[in-house]
Amino acid sequence: MAPPPALALTLGEPAGIGPDITLAAWLTRQQRSLPAFFAIGDAAVLRRRAAALGLDVPVRACAPEEAAAVFASALPVVSAGPAVTAAPGHPDETSAPSARAAIDDAVALVKAGRATAVVTNPISKAVLYADGFAFPGHTEYLAHLAGTPAPRPVMMIWSPELAVIPATIHVPLADVPRLLTRELIIETARITAHDLRHRFGIEAPRLAICGLNPHAGEEGTLGREDEEVTRPAVEALRQEGIDARGPLPADTLFHAAARATYDAAIGAYHDQVLAPAKALAFDRAVNVTLGLPFVRTSPDHGTAFALAGTGRADPSSLIEALRLAHRLSARDAARSGR
Amino acid sequence: MTAHPLPILALTPGDCTGIGPEQTARLLSEGGFDDVARIVVVGDARVLDMGARHAGVRLNLVRYASPGAVDWSAPGIPMVDLGNTDPDLFPLGVANPESGRLTGDTLARAIDFAKAGEVDGVCFAPLNKQAMFRGGWRFPDEHKMFAHLLDHKGPFSEMNVLEGQWMTRVTSHVSLRTALDQVTFDSICGALRLADETMRKAGIARPRIAVAALNPHGGEGGLFGSEEIDFIRPAVEAMAKEGIACEGPFPSDTVYLKAFAGAYDSVLAMYHDQGQIATKLKGFNKGVTITAGLEVVFTTPAHGTAFDIVGKGVADIGAFQSAVRLAARVAARKIEARAAAA
Repeated sequence: MAPPPALALTLGEPAGIGPDITLAAWLTRQQRSLPAFFAIGDAAVLRRRAAALGLDVPVRACAPEEAAAVFASALPVVSAGPAVTAAPGHPDETSAPSARAAIDDAVALVKAGRATAVVTNPISKAVLYADGFAFPGHTEYLAHLAGTPAPRPVMMIWSPELAVIPATIHVPLADVPRLLTRELIIETARITAHDLRHRFGIEAPRLAICGLNPHAGEEGTLGREDEEVTRPAVEALRQEGIDARGPLPADTLFHAAARATYDAAIGAYHDQVLAPAKALAFDRAVNVTLGLPFVRTSPDHGTAFALAGTGRADPSSLIEALRLAHRLSARDAARSGR
Repeated sequence: MTAHPLPILALTPGDCTGIGPEQTARLLSEGGFDDVARIVVVGDARVLDMGARHAGVRLNLVRYASPGAVDWSAPGIPMVDLGNTDPDLFPLGVANPESGRLTGDTLARAIDFAKAGEVDGVCFAPLNKQAMFRGGWRFPDEHKMFAHLLDHKGPFSEMNVLEGQWMTRVTSHVSLRTALDQVTFDSICGALRLADETMRKAGIARPRIAVAALNPHGGEGGLFGSEEIDFIRPAVEAMAKEGIACEGPFPSDTVYLKAFAGAYDSVLAMYHDQGQIATKLKGFNKGVTITAGLEVVFTTPAHGTAFDIVGKGVADIGAFQSAVRLAARVAARKIEARAAAA
């Protein structure tokens, strides 16, 4: 019988903290009962970083199928991309090809059933853009690799305390009233409800939809969008049988009693839902991409170049990302009879 | 050093359909303010009687025609009985425009006494904004009503205070679109000056104020919006030059965490939900709301009328007590400053 496949973890930007937290996460494998994973990238980066940090982590290059067996005694690495020359904190011309090759290979492996899910370490958009990368970000690139036509990805920030989805993400706040359309809310909510049901195993997901304006517009007296855009979207979703409620005043939506009434909150804009997510689960929040044909999670932070190689990078979010990817992909596997 | 007279605070029982009356009765019954303020109730004695029944306390109310007529050496709790609100007419726990109107009328009388110099501040139990609005006090919030009644022309705003931290906003109860228009170099400078001045008046020598950014990730160097570059940072720098200990702008999804950890005394938000989401999660509803910038001190517990527990005598009075103490502190400093200037 073939050994069970493991999670594919991209190394991300090699000059960032990806290698640091990958090593640190592997060291907690017993204590935190981590699922088996293999890193994808240049094994030499991990060896050098382990030495620099004084970590006793054996790094072993292997095939994806060997990773689960290797995992107990060494950090399995599936090679991808060029030999990296970038030093911690200092990306160079090997950074972008290395980061990109790891993503390409991770998606190919998960599509071929040779990995259970994709977990990604942070990449540097600036470094990739300078190398000619033509996608807005990590998530859009993964969607592009996932299939044709590219599925519409939805970003969820998940923690046991709170799951949130910003309907608009990295855009100026001044553009949000224009960008927040009925269609956007409906599409975001549909994908969210679908994945909460099929990946998270929530039979009838309850969605709370935040109002755009203070007090959700107070019946139109504090802005009309909540009545003209959000409320019709919620009604359309309810007609489809999705348990959506809203527009709800965002400032009374995040205390414990309110959180107990929904499975995920969809915000009108980034800070409306990222602020409570960080307040409730600062270093344990995980970024999950919904809407893809495979499970993808990542830690909810950036490359933190200044911390790379210092030993001060916190692996908590990556550890939670690995655990969640395992949980979600186990359900995927059970459904597809793998 | 001469001892200054204790400030006189008017205490109003708030909307009689909510927990205000029972909170007011319990607060008066427990007392404990003798060394910080002289308190006179302004309201309807029948409302106070009802509150005392709900709270299970007895009050020895002594009626006077106005706060100026109170004999502070006499025993009992001084009260100006307006005789305007019969609580039996209003079901408990249900917002009612008529009781909203009367709540506003009572506050307006307290403000009249303040204008006449008979009280130094007003501390009010929870009111219902909607009921007041529907009852004819057509203001989006009570702070705008107070400013109107005081004929106040300068800047003012509400601040939310909890355990020594003071939270405020550049814009308040307006649509997000309107808020985006109202966030300007001048409005940010004005809000910073107001916050700094209000906190100094409360005895914080050099308030450290963090300014929240408007855009996600603080605009990420202009990638998602340029307001931070165009005028938020310039405003913060201009105010820092004036001597205000302000810093920022900081991404708003983490700035409150820094402040709550003790790095700042205050955070200035750009818009309503930005401030309210963070402060409500932190439990600022256990705190105090103060109207900053007005000649008269106004404080109130930050929580609402709590319709679900009205009449049960279980309403906590911690926030209300904090509101009285804060009003007393600010009013006392004002009396000292006035005496020093004289």
